[in-house]
Amino acid sequence: MLESREITKKFGRKTAVDHVTLRLEPGKIYAMLGPNGSGKTTWMKMAAGLVKPTSGEMLYKGEPIGVESRREIAYMSTEPYFYSWMTAKDVGKYYEDFFEDFSMERYQQLLQSMELTEDLKTKVLSSGMMAKLKIAVTMARKAKVILLDEPLNGIDLMARDQIMRAVVESAAPDVALMLSSHLVDELERVVDSAIFMKESHLIEVSDVEKLRIRQGKSIVDRYREIYGNGGEQVC
Amino acid sequence: MLKLMKYEFRKTMFSKAVILILTAVAELAYLVGVFAKIEDTMGLGIAGLFMCAMIGIFYIGIESLIVFHKDLNTKQSYMLFLTPNSSYRILGAKIVENGIAIFAAGAFFAALAVLDATIGILYIGGLKEFLDILGEVVKSIQINIDVQPEHILMTFLAGLASWMMMIVTGYLAIVLSATVLAGKKFSGFASFLLYLVISWIGSWLMSLVPEMQNFYVQFGLMIAVAFAIILVMYAVTGWIMEKKLSV
Repeated sequence: MLESREITKKFGRKTAVDHVTLRLEPGKIYAMLGPNGSGKTTWMKMAAGLVKPTSGEMLYKGEPIGVESRREIAYMSTEPYFYSWMTAKDVGKYYEDFFEDFSMERYQQLLQSMELTEDLKTKVLSSGMMAKLKIAVTMARKAKVILLDEPLNGIDLMARDQIMRAVVESAAPDVALMLSSHLVDELERVVDSAIFMKESHLIEVSDVEKLRIRQGKSIVDRYREIYGNGGEQVC
Repeated sequence: MLKLMKYEFRKTMFSKAVILILTAVAELAYLVGVFAKIEDTMGLGIAGLFMCAMIGIFYIGIESLIVFHKDLNTKQSYMLFLTPNSSYRILGAKIVENGIAIFAAGAFFAALAVLDATIGILYIGGLKEFLDILGEVVKSIQINIDVQPEHILMTFLAGLASWMMMIVTGYLAIVLSATVLAGKKFSGFASFLLYLVISWIGSWLMSLVPEMQNFYVQFGLMIAVAFAIILVMYAVTGWIMEKKLSV
């Protein structure tokens, strides 16, 4: 569905993503894990078409990422990105104008469930409210691939539950969903696979169920093995 | 494309509102001057309207570059580049919206000038008297107006070509700065230098146009070459955005 082949991105001398080959399948929820600077965000931005790879390729349904893929890939950035003059209502209208898969009704439901109102101005939102607004507008799309970069950042416990509920509700047999987060244990209960990134390399893609049954480990345990005390070496 | 243009307009609505308010103040001064027959106030109003028209139209052009720079160099870029629109379309929407805004502003100020002249004629008591007063006012603010009717179309075309050349040169400089010099210090200053260099190249290309006997043929050729350069710069800018730009 969505795959990167030997994809590399360099920013000047720094390599953010190094020869990563990865494939996302529909019907699965993925956790993209790794410390800061491991390449998670850059990989997601390349999948969304915001960042152009230095080498390798990012494909959606076998075609390079571009205008067509953006119709079906929803990306939520960790940074706020709405125009400063916008209210929550304007944000919804903007998405409705540009994305055919956007549902205003669903957006309004999500706003309500997250205790946000349409008249809220985006420039005065707290980081938590902004995160909820980003989630609401992204999840109101019926996208085939949903990429959420740090959706739980700066969010209180109750709001995290709301977000995780919205994520689970969006899961469908034809949808691939990816979340990145440092809150590994929060993701454990909803994800099917965990993708471990370290120092711009892909370390491993683990099936959460198999990891649990065959090795008796949770993804938190595996995370500690990979990143704790120096962790496993990058090849 | 219309939707993109709608949001381009929305981004610059505040400054357009400010221009409108300042114009309203100058218009008020002009009307007070006309109705009360106070030449100084009328002169102040005319000078204000003239400044609003000139600076307003110029600013609308410049603001397009400021917005584009912001669209590429801040996180608000995601609002544009996450949508299923090609870079060519995004760029095209910006150019067309800005062109319409400048044209609309020009038409608005021209209509206002005609309306004000009509009011002046009606209340000052005759065309001759109004023109005499206007002549005095124009002399006092040292403006020399000499409009030949046959030059209106040429002025429009020349103005359109100059404006488009300025805008696409600016866009190309900003895109080059955002790709080649991304994250580097002084990239803003570098954009300005790039703008000067690209402008110079454009002028140099224009200077290669051969001289013709007929002034109108010469003018037509210059306009055609200018639009060809504009088209090439638009295509190059769109291509760089599509293939190389990371936001």
